[in-house]
Amino acid sequence: MIRLDAQRKVHLCGGVSRRDFLHAGALPMFGLGMTQAAAARAATQAADNDMNCIMLFLVGAPSQIDCWDMKPDAPAEIRGPFKPIETNVPGIFVSEIFPRLATMMDKVSLVRSTYHQATAIHDTGYQMMQTGRLFGPGIEHPPYGSVMAWNKGPKGDAPPYVLLPKPIGATGGNLPHAHGAGYLGKTYDPFILNADPNAADFQVPDLLPPDYVTAVRSERRRSMRKAIEGNLNAFEASAEAKLLDANFRQAYAIMSSKKTREAFDLKQEKDDVRDRYGRTRFGQSCLMARRLIEAGVRFVTVNMFETVFNEVTWDIHGSAPFTSIEGLKDEVAPNFDRAYTALLDDLYRSGLLSNTMVLAFGEFGRTPKINPAGGRDHHPGVWTSLFAGGPFKGGTVVGESDEIGGSPKTRPVTTGEIAATVYQGLGLKLDMELRGPGNRPIRLVENGNEPIHELFA
Amino acid sequence: MRTLVLPLFWVILSAGHVTSKADAPRPVLVPGKIDLKTIDGIESLSLLLTDQAGVAVKDLSNTATWQVEPADLARVEPGPTLIPLRGGEGKLIARTADGKTAEAKIRIASPAARQSWSYENHVMPVLTKTGCNSGPCHGAMAGKNGLRLSLRGYAPEVDYDALVRQASGRRVRPGVPEESLMLWKATGLVPHGGGTRLAAGSRDYRIIADWISTGAPGPQVNAPHVVRLEATPARARFEAGERGRVIVRAVYSDGTSEDVTGWAKFGTTDSTILAVDDDGRLKAENPGEAHVTVWYANQVTTVPVSVPNPAKVEPNLFAQAPRFNKIDEINLAKLQALGLPPSPDAGDAAWLRRATLDITGQLPASDRLKSFLADKAPDKRRKEVTRLLATPEAIDYWAYQWSDLLLVSSNKLSTPALWAFYGFVRESVAANEPWDKFVRRIVTAKGSSLTEGAGNFYAIHRDPTDLTETTSVAFLGLSLTCARCHNHPMEKWTQDQYYGFASMLGRVGLKDGDAAGEVIVSDRPDGEIYHPRRGKPMPPQPLDAPPLAAPDTRNRRDALADWMTSPENPLFARAIVNRVWKKFFGRGLVADEDDIKATAPPWDADLLAWLEADFKAHGFDMRHLISTIATSAVYARSSDPLPGNRSDTLYLSRNVPRRLPAEVLLDVLSQVTEVPTPFAGFPEKWRAVQLPDSKVANGFLSAFGRPERLTTCSCERTNEPSVAQALNLANGEALNGKLRAENGLPRRWADSPMTEEEIVDGLFLKALARQPTPAERAKLVTGMKEAVAGIDDAAKRKEARRTAVEDLFWAVLTSDECLFNH
Repeated sequence: MIRLDAQRKVHLCGGVSRRDFLHAGALPMFGLGMTQAAAARAATQAADNDMNCIMLFLVGAPSQIDCWDMKPDAPAEIRGPFKPIETNVPGIFVSEIFPRLATMMDKVSLVRSTYHQATAIHDTGYQMMQTGRLFGPGIEHPPYGSVMAWNKGPKGDAPPYVLLPKPIGATGGNLPHAHGAGYLGKTYDPFILNADPNAADFQVPDLLPPDYVTAVRSERRRSMRKAIEGNLNAFEASAEAKLLDANFRQAYAIMSSKKTREAFDLKQEKDDVRDRYGRTRFGQSCLMARRLIEAGVRFVTVNMFETVFNEVTWDIHGSAPFTSIEGLKDEVAPNFDRAYTALLDDLYRSGLLSNTMVLAFGEFGRTPKINPAGGRDHHPGVWTSLFAGGPFKGGTVVGESDEIGGSPKTRPVTTGEIAATVYQGLGLKLDMELRGPGNRPIRLVENGNEPIHELFA
Repeated sequence: MRTLVLPLFWVILSAGHVTSKADAPRPVLVPGKIDLKTIDGIESLSLLLTDQAGVAVKDLSNTATWQVEPADLARVEPGPTLIPLRGGEGKLIARTADGKTAEAKIRIASPAARQSWSYENHVMPVLTKTGCNSGPCHGAMAGKNGLRLSLRGYAPEVDYDALVRQASGRRVRPGVPEESLMLWKATGLVPHGGGTRLAAGSRDYRIIADWISTGAPGPQVNAPHVVRLEATPARARFEAGERGRVIVRAVYSDGTSEDVTGWAKFGTTDSTILAVDDDGRLKAENPGEAHVTVWYANQVTTVPVSVPNPAKVEPNLFAQAPRFNKIDEINLAKLQALGLPPSPDAGDAAWLRRATLDITGQLPASDRLKSFLADKAPDKRRKEVTRLLATPEAIDYWAYQWSDLLLVSSNKLSTPALWAFYGFVRESVAANEPWDKFVRRIVTAKGSSLTEGAGNFYAIHRDPTDLTETTSVAFLGLSLTCARCHNHPMEKWTQDQYYGFASMLGRVGLKDGDAAGEVIVSDRPDGEIYHPRRGKPMPPQPLDAPPLAAPDTRNRRDALADWMTSPENPLFARAIVNRVWKKFFGRGLVADEDDIKATAPPWDADLLAWLEADFKAHGFDMRHLISTIATSAVYARSSDPLPGNRSDTLYLSRNVPRRLPAEVLLDVLSQVTEVPTPFAGFPEKWRAVQLPDSKVANGFLSAFGRPERLTTCSCERTNEPSVAQALNLANGEALNGKLRAENGLPRRWADSPMTEEEIVDGLFLKALARQPTPAERAKLVTGMKEAVAGIDDAAKRKEARRTAVEDLFWAVLTSDECLFNH
């Protein structure tokens, strides 16, 4: 059988050819003439109406006052350098550093009264915003994506939960960052890209077998590997060894699925599409997130930055190595504005926005009073989180902060309520019980945390 | 001076665990005598059923009846807590449900005196316990609603000013204490964002009110301060489901002590084993061992609580288990206390593979394995460890591991400086330089960084806070970062201690030398690091030790090295012993080797204490330490679980398989296939663990978790399997390239007259250090034969046999058994 869509040169030297391997495990489900993206979308929609989610984690923590909750009437030492601008929703203003968002406000809702009460270090916020809870001794709660992977499993060959481009590295506190599945077990950890999709030579490391490893050989390798059974008992009792085997299984599923492999291949997108997302690590990660959802991934986390130390981020303390408030407008805000709006726009046009939630938030807010270095410091007292897509209404504002943007004035929203909102959106029952350490039942969200009902359409 | 708490309970723990019928547990009343200097004092009470070794086995406090004689002297409230009613003497009698009694004398100063409350020792603890100065409330960096207190009270003078002088003095009104805003807010009389924190009329309320009415005296420079905490029980062994309470006394610098149970902050090191609430009440949940952590006034203590496995284990199992050295005795005592049966010895072949990988980063050569198995000498394991430690491979491997610790890398070093630093490390390992001497050479390094390679430590850490924190992590296993900006909120380290320690390193002089990348390290006669809150430098002072005396003529780094490497220093040996232990078992005796803290005690404190003492007694001899660990019976245990120890991944009742580190794994692939990995700029046959620099590009090493050597943290290395690693092994060039290399072993064997059986057997011995089972051999041989079956053309047949052998190598090399040390 000749296939016209083989991507690389076909070698016919060793019996069975590479392309046969590629299709040995995958159904040739798409006809000619249909674009791959469209086919993927069709397949996704037909296969499953479950809710998907893309979570853009704005590492470093955006300043509520300079971004989405401006205080133009506050004194100069509070209000900051930027001006509010009108949006396409009357009465909602955002900072002038987000001109594109201003044209799409009808798709986005703001929760301006998000707050937490834990220590004001980055790590606590990563935990609370990705799991709804602060971790305790011996307990690491799973993030939303791991819960989805555990509860729903993969859709086809795609891994259910993918993290782009890399986990958040050291940001000072030495506490867990809530990337791993915690007590659910490593089987539900995300598939981590660990590469920069904006790099010129980007490719997902080793997604395809080399040409000379044919389907027959690949099968032989797998069956020979299975034949080695010494010390089976020891490895059966080893969580790490079981994980390795699970990883091998998943690797084979990914390798043998053309759809999944191609989701990682950004070269399939036209240059102007890639430009619209911005040629940055974050921009291209957002584009990849869209492709992954199209290919059947349920939950994609995009970490906007890897750390807060060696790159310019939302962490605007003012003094080196951090930037001042002014610094936001040069790199960080345009990077977000471009990628976020391109993502919403594409999902909307393809119809996927209706079953794909897009979350965007950081780990806390920033101090209302500008510090002597011209920056703002950590402030979990109040900040703004952004909800779009899926079951969420656009163009709504929930909650208000006080006159100086220092604490919630109305409708305070805890991180537990954020988690309840995400899980409700994903269609999971809030009183579902997870199995914690020692098989102890742990409720999906703490009792008393209700979803933010104003957000739901 | 603060007293270190840990060694104290190590001593207590060493007392042993075993109880016999003769010494049945008896009820013990704490405190043993009650001596209250004022009528305002209180005394938390505890009645514990305690075994001969002093271990509490049941808490009877709430089931006992309490009686005071004479009855009008004092009363006992639920808690139980003794409340004095008048001055005088008498006694307290506790009677258990089964009629046993325990007594304590009571003396209450007569005539009854009133307590004068102190700001630091009474008012601040109330503010801390009620959460007023916590991070989410007024302890936030910016304070809360106009009141800013220091986090958990680390700056009493600033807080006092905020409470008494700011807000036009409305917060504290000595004439009318009940109208002080501070009390109105805390009791919710006026709207308070933090809600009601204090019940009007409670003891804590009265302390604040009385303090205000006596003029709200401020912090006193010479007021007694807390030097240590005493927790009761000191240790406990509770059956699952058992409940109890920890009570706490603070001991002050003037020798007095006081019940602070109501003000201490309690926690648990593992809530799945031991649940602990804010009042120190605990419940044993599941078998295992955990600690109650107690924090008060920047002092920390812990209470170890073991929860035995309810399943009964044959006692002979412990008696008959092999004991090769002291490690085994201590470990078996722990296993017996927890009811975990030890797995048997793994056998010589498994031991040799395990030890050779851990000591040299290589697999044992097949010839070596055969001769070792044939050797009948009873001490052959010890001899083998000694031999292995002297091999160039072991020297490379340990130099590599210490280079991880010291961040040897071209991130911040020029090529000549990198080689000088690496050369220093490798020569030291080759000479088995004692660890104290090695660290001393780093801490006191002077001169050109190109000739004195150790000086590159300073070239990497030019920022004084980075230098301070890296020095404490690398050599003391202490993470001091929190204390840079404020007292550590959960540990005992204070900001003053941080800057005192920083001052020890405050006079390092660095200037560029004439050669490229050369830095000249010196000691400057002056220069200070300023304490940001006090606005002045702290006198140079090592951690938990007195400041340098004024006429001390040593330069500060020499003094630092003297203190650090002194046999009296409890931190130095502990840190390195724990690091080395982790390399052999995948987990430290203290879980976080870079953040050893009082609130996360070792899982076997006796064992750590013995290893430290033995390491010091042998002059910080690294090879002695490694040899002791590697020749223990604990290290030799099989990784096959028994029914009774399957869930144990902590106490080493069995060996826990560990995935090989990235560099070792790559070298193992090279070793078995006999195809070296090319590294740009390095000679042929260079192994990954010989690389002096973490920046040498290699996709395989990155995917498998090689550390970047940017910050001193074992967390940089990750050995956790991932899908990316499986993809690399399946599809990557690293392994596939070796399998089909022209001169590689797979190709040579395939082209040789060896039978399939011989190839399978040879490969198993080389990669797995064992013979295949008949079933394995049959399946694998069949797989290879099928690959060539029916091919008549000689050239095609040869090619088919090559691919079959490659696939066999792939299967063996990617098996769990090869990828793991087990």
